[in-house]
Amino acid sequence: MCVGNQFGNFGNTDRGSASRLYREWHRANDGDTEQEDIVSSFAEFGVLVNNRHKPKDKPADTKVALGFLAPWLIGAVCLSLIPMLYSLVISFTKYNMIKPPQFVGLMNYRHMIADPRFINSLTVTLTYVIVSVPLQLVAALALAVLLDRGMRGLAFYRSAFYLPSMLGGSVAVAVLWKMVFGADGLFNAFLGIFGIDTTMSWIANPDTANWTLMALHVWQFGSPMVIFLAGLRQIPRELYEAASVDGAGTWRQFRSITLPMLSPIIFFNLVMSVINSFQTFTQAYVVSGGTGGPSDSTLFYTLYLYQQGFASLRMGYASALAWIMVLIVAALTGMNFALSKFWVHYDD
Amino acid sequence: MISAIIKQIVVLLLAILMLYPILWMIASSLRPQNEIFTNMGLLVTKPVWENYVAGWNALSYPFGRYILNSLIIVVFAIIGNILTCSMAAYAFARLHFRFRGVLFGFMLLMLMIPIHVIVIPQYIMWNSLHLINTFVPLIVPKFLAMDGFFTFLFYQFLRGLPRDLDEAANIDGAGHIRIFFQILLPLMKPAIGTCAVFTFIWTWNDFFSQLLYLTKPDMYTVPIALRTFIDSQSQSSYGPMFAMSVISLIPLFLVFTFGQKYLVQGIATTGGK
Amino acid sequence: MKRLWKKYLTAVMAAVALCVTTACGSSVGASDVPVVASDGDVTIRLDWWGGDSRVETTEQAVAAFEKLHPNIHVDMEYSDWTGYWDKLAVQSAGGNAPDVMQMDELYLSFYGSMGSLLDLNTASKYLELNGMSDSLKSMGQVEGKQVAAPATTAQYGVIVNNTILNNLGLTLPDTDHWTWDEFADFAKQVTEKSNGTIIGSLAPNNGYGLQLWARQHGEKLFDGNHIVIQPQTLASFLQLPADWASNGVEGSRERWSENSAATLNDSDFGKGQQAMMITQATMITPYAQAAGTDDMSIVPLPQIDPGAKTMYLKPGMYWSISSSSQHPAEAAMLVNYLINNKQAGTILGTERGIPSNDDIRHTLANSVSGTDRTALNFVDTIQPTLGTSPSITPNGASELDKTIIRYQQDVVFGKRKALDAAKAMIAELQESIDFAS
Repeated sequence: MCVGNQFGNFGNTDRGSASRLYREWHRANDGDTEQEDIVSSFAEFGVLVNNRHKPKDKPADTKVALGFLAPWLIGAVCLSLIPMLYSLVISFTKYNMIKPPQFVGLMNYRHMIADPRFINSLTVTLTYVIVSVPLQLVAALALAVLLDRGMRGLAFYRSAFYLPSMLGGSVAVAVLWKMVFGADGLFNAFLGIFGIDTTMSWIANPDTANWTLMALHVWQFGSPMVIFLAGLRQIPRELYEAASVDGAGTWRQFRSITLPMLSPIIFFNLVMSVINSFQTFTQAYVVSGGTGGPSDSTLFYTLYLYQQGFASLRMGYASALAWIMVLIVAALTGMNFALSKFWVHYDD
Repeated sequence: MISAIIKQIVVLLLAILMLYPILWMIASSLRPQNEIFTNMGLLVTKPVWENYVAGWNALSYPFGRYILNSLIIVVFAIIGNILTCSMAAYAFARLHFRFRGVLFGFMLLMLMIPIHVIVIPQYIMWNSLHLINTFVPLIVPKFLAMDGFFTFLFYQFLRGLPRDLDEAANIDGAGHIRIFFQILLPLMKPAIGTCAVFTFIWTWNDFFSQLLYLTKPDMYTVPIALRTFIDSQSQSSYGPMFAMSVISLIPLFLVFTFGQKYLVQGIATTGGK
Repeated sequence: MKRLWKKYLTAVMAAVALCVTTACGSSVGASDVPVVASDGDVTIRLDWWGGDSRVETTEQAVAAFEKLHPNIHVDMEYSDWTGYWDKLAVQSAGGNAPDVMQMDELYLSFYGSMGSLLDLNTASKYLELNGMSDSLKSMGQVEGKQVAAPATTAQYGVIVNNTILNNLGLTLPDTDHWTWDEFADFAKQVTEKSNGTIIGSLAPNNGYGLQLWARQHGEKLFDGNHIVIQPQTLASFLQLPADWASNGVEGSRERWSENSAATLNDSDFGKGQQAMMITQATMITPYAQAAGTDDMSIVPLPQIDPGAKTMYLKPGMYWSISSSSQHPAEAAMLVNYLINNKQAGTILGTERGIPSNDDIRHTLANSVSGTDRTALNFVDTIQPTLGTSPSITPNGASELDKTIIRYQQDVVFGKRKALDAAKAMIAELQESIDFAS
């Protein structure tokens, strides 16, 4: 069979199969009450698909896998595994980057317990993660769904919402945020409209500085939004068409089709957001001028680790800090994966 | 009908909120230095185009040189990331092999370790290979699928594609390479587009590794050049800095605006409609 | 299978151990290259931190140097302040430090005591250090070795924006012998008269300021590797911004906090919204440009005991040569050119600070005008109050400036009492110094 032909067929096969599956599922449920929760049906459907395929899989594709993974394996060993083991070894030493490292046992790890700045950086980071990750994801998902439905000026809005993310942690952001949340900033001018007159500097007060960085994080919701948009495009339209024939409203369609079908992507964004925002560095670095101030109120974990390693030249301690963070983030990620069994639905 | 209008208004207001700071930045790039920190409006009565001229010529080379350097790195980074990350993702998502879980876990673990504690051995390695002041240390990792973010992204997208596709192809006698490159990859256009755009932006803005590996002025990239405008100890050139920030946003903006049609292409839109 | 894993792991661990002991250790050893100029073509690297105006002048000076020595080629590298130190640390770890590097007092004892810097006395054939005063020269020494050549000096003073004072109808009191109380009283008037749109001044907030504060109290900040400032004295220094925030000198505590994180251009003084600034004399030119006035002057720092010999010439920046340089002689020739050559002095001007070489300073003072001249002549103004130079910041206290601001913020925002903050700060710094040595 000619290759081009095959490829051409698959576009159709896929669309055909998705709608066929939907119809099958629909028929199977025909006699049931309409209140039947579509989500659970989808879950069953997922299990069904899985079971159907497993026996047919070859027991091991090790050779092929080696081929596909070759670049990654080379990189993982040379560029990651060795440096990571190196930093693990360094975390048990005293090392200032010039003198050869000196073995000190668990000293660096014991030092952490008595280090108030370490505890503080952990609190600052956790607050940031807990508040800004859900906010950013909800904003990104809402906007993605809104924009996916098609509206006038769609292309413009997508760009507009994505622009802030392009700025990333460039130096311009530092000035920008001071102009927004400074004493004479935009935010206070905005409050002035409602008659709230204040000379509060949100960015320079230790009680509020972290919140301005959370605002920055939410403002840059473009990245997860783009991923959501891409994920939404993978959901076969036929599902919506069939559902609306059934009389399901917008909200119901969202809950029964969009959410479960998008759940792998939601899961991806959640996992990556937690990992990335735990490592937030550039934004805090740029906005606070590398200090984590005022009064350590924006001293994020990675920022503190960086300060210890590069400014105080305690690379051993910085490495120990890094590995404690890896443990925390790995635990959170593991939890995410464990919980994903209950709400993420895969098609494969 | 009314709800559509309300939706339009809400989205428009939100867009303004998102865009105001950017517009302010553009306005600031046309202002004299001392006005930048005192004027929050967007109106520029007398544009100071000198900021652009001064910024373009401020450092050892015209600013275009730094943009070109950044572009070279970015183009290779995109190719490398798309190719190798999607390949790794295919192995993880579709193939069965020993230690798959362990390796996948290690890939995620690689994302969790901050660059600051592994950069020294990496630097020592590249230095002993005499590759400092070349683009190699910045490009090669991308061809070794070192951006686990994208591997994980492709993995999630692949798992969203029904296995019927592979099955059918397999029955037709297609091997893994053909299944991957001719069937699955074309269906992952949204993920590929996302990967391209993100790689572009992240590489474009990446400061730390470019600072360490590119130390000669003729190799400098956009983020290194931009930081040179700001001197924490003395006079900074904010006007030129904003001007060049705007200039360096243009490629990003263009790529996104013209690339987004690939982002939104997916199963739903392939093959007619 | 298990065995295979074991083998693999052992191999990897061995590789890592090898890397830790050899690659990272190799950078320590100084090269034993004799300090003799080569006849052939030589390329050396020169690295500095600073903004775009420094790039331009340094490139010009280096071009002139290359013309004088056609066989020497200089590769220039530059970055912003923090990027510079990050890069230098990693390069040092990799044994790839530049031949000639700009050095700061905060990091000098670290790199000096680690043996990363060449003893410049071994290159005395090519590098002359007698153009500056001995006390200044001594501040480039670590553990008895001349590891750095002071390039410029910095003197603290009070820069005054006369345009603001004239507009408000205020006249400076006698500044030759003024106390901190007189200074604060006058600064308060500025804030009051302008209804808070313009503030009087800001409390000093860095290591140099603290050093002078200690000296004015008859104490020292450091003695070798020990912090010897009294907790009460440090407490009064940490309390100063809090007092000045509440009595109006600094406007409000938020305004002080914003200023303490600001760069020159977005600080109140740089925006023309502050009358007086306690800082280095050479900053007068960039501040005048930023604030858009040419009517600025420098007056001496207020003192507890007016007229006492508490001031000293602090090296603003140094030039150091890497101990692993393959071309130490040529590197020394470059440093010599940058600090002693008249042509270089004219090109570089006061952008890095007041030239350490007295001849060049006088030549410059006669040829420049305006605020640059004011800065150059300020050294003569404070001459009668110059005392002996203090010990430099010890290894482990490189974060001194940031630490001071952090504890000041704690006090200003009521998170700690000044004396508790002072004790905690001394403990933290001392721990850091002890750890480093």
